[in-house]
Amino acid sequence: MKRLRTILLLAITVVFLLAWAFPIVWSVLNSLKTDKDALAYPPKLLFEPTLDAYRDVLFGSGSILPNLLSSMIISLGTTIVTMVLAIPAAYALARLRFRGKKFTGFYVLATQMLPPVGIIIPYYIVLRNIGWIDTYQGIILIYLSFSLPFAIWLLVSYFEDIPYEMEEAAYLDGASRLRTLWRIIIPQVRGGIAVTVVFVFLNAWNEFLFAVVLSGNTVRPVTIAMFNFVSVEQTLWAKLAAVSVLAMLPVVILGIVAQKHIVKGLTVGAVKGGGRR
Amino acid sequence: MSARGQVVFKDIWKKHGEFVALKNVNFEIEPGEFFALLGPSGSGKSTTLRILAGLDAPTAGQVFIDGKDVTGADAAERDVAMVFQSYALYPHMTVAENISFPLEMAKMPKAEIAPAVFDAARKVKIEHLLDRRPGQLSGGQQQRCALARAIVRKARLFLLDEPLSNLDAKLRLETRVELKKLQRSLGMTAVYVTHDQEEAMTLADRMAVFMAGEIQQIGTPEEVFAKPNSIDIAGFIGNPPMNLVQAKYQDGDVFLGGHKFETTMQAAGSRDVVAGIRPGAIRLGGDGLQSRVDLVEHLGDTAVLDLDIGGALMRVRVSDENVPKEGDTVAITARPQDIHLFDSQTRMRLS
Repeated sequence: MKRLRTILLLAITVVFLLAWAFPIVWSVLNSLKTDKDALAYPPKLLFEPTLDAYRDVLFGSGSILPNLLSSMIISLGTTIVTMVLAIPAAYALARLRFRGKKFTGFYVLATQMLPPVGIIIPYYIVLRNIGWIDTYQGIILIYLSFSLPFAIWLLVSYFEDIPYEMEEAAYLDGASRLRTLWRIIIPQVRGGIAVTVVFVFLNAWNEFLFAVVLSGNTVRPVTIAMFNFVSVEQTLWAKLAAVSVLAMLPVVILGIVAQKHIVKGLTVGAVKGGGRR
Repeated sequence: MSARGQVVFKDIWKKHGEFVALKNVNFEIEPGEFFALLGPSGSGKSTTLRILAGLDAPTAGQVFIDGKDVTGADAAERDVAMVFQSYALYPHMTVAENISFPLEMAKMPKAEIAPAVFDAARKVKIEHLLDRRPGQLSGGQQQRCALARAIVRKARLFLLDEPLSNLDAKLRLETRVELKKLQRSLGMTAVYVTHDQEEAMTLADRMAVFMAGEIQQIGTPEEVFAKPNSIDIAGFIGNPPMNLVQAKYQDGDVFLGGHKFETTMQAAGSRDVVAGIRPGAIRLGGDGLQSRVDLVEHLGDTAVLDLDIGGALMRVRVSDENVPKEGDTVAITARPQDIHLFDSQTRMRLS
């Protein structure tokens, strides 16, 4: 019985793992093929690997390096502004008691339920009227409208886990409110901050729909540039795959760095017996 | 150490909407005193401590520390240190960083911090744990770390909010003794909140007993034990607590289960009272009230008897020699000075 359970669990794990790994494996393999090999049917599993596609997309005429830079500016900008605003806001929301607090949580979720297509036209008109189409500040502003509520909502639960007595102890030790937030509270929600940074960065990095409408020739993130390899006449699969792999790298690196901070159980044993909340 | 840490609470009220948490609380604490705030949960003792610490503001009244009105002052400005019931250690910092935090906030020069931290840690015997994090410590060690963080700064006042309640029974007794020694040797003024009357009795120089948001009595543990001000205090202090029975008072005597007991009260007349006798003050034998032994609890060197006196329960503590058996009939007497009389309406002390 127990053995059967183990086998079943293992089988499910393998299925999920395959489903998860397939697109990545496919991208990596195709990025090492020539365009001709990539189109071969049935797909060639044995082929002579080449870095031609990478060389083309990085240093060729249509280099995507400026687009990677664009994506980086947009994503970093969105992440930094989001965190700078979301951390104090989430802290305040976690601590303050006011009427309708429960409702604000739902409101934040509601903004995420809104289909993006529905608001893309109004957003375009607003940005056009203030002349921010095809600017970094324009795109970052639009991304903030999604990432900020989400980040606050995510962070509030982390702040709420910190016992109130921790702050009171800091006040009695002579710390000001700001110092308490910086020295006592924020280090304890490090894990939550790391998670939020990854999510916000990832969403900004991968965003396509708004970018395609609101960007132009000056600001052109890699998700849009990638689309150039798909056209009516042909799809340059090898180059598309190479760009995909390159675009994946920063997020993968961020994930690895963030993981170090997502230490579970850091707060275990700090406070005995619960106490007043 | 200079004698500082005088506290005055003047006409303090605390209301949460309609609910009155503190009703006109007044007391003074002398420098160097170990002062306990004792009471059952919800009696207002913790609220009092929080108002003293500056974590809560009173609705009305004034708080003075060393003669200065601090009623509107922030916690950080009051120069008071506190040990929380939960310890509230900073989990991301080592023990040394925890202890040095108040010094850093006080802008002590870096060179002086390390020796001060070591000194405080040594006083509570955790100097070998300075590199650990709170999560790696046992409950007793965490408690000591919280103590060290509170004493390191040599604050005016040392506040303790049920600091022993999360320790196991044996460790609690040991720590209790050490706490008292520590307070004596440092000469600090300590304000100690507890619901454990035994802790308050053993630790405090003086104590304030809270009942339902009011201080019902302030005095030394001996005074409160010997002359409790009200039925509630009488029933709260002492283990087992004082026997309290409805009785009839007449011309200096009180009638319990039909038997006459002399009291120290001399007023003429007749009235209903509640008579209180401590279990240890009751003597067996002689010409006394006849009662049946319902239950015998052996506690080692003493035993506690549950006696039935005409339907009411009376608990008696006797030494372990010649303990009666269950079902026996014994006669009980008590000296006049051991009989406490309370008004059954106002619940306050009469004699």
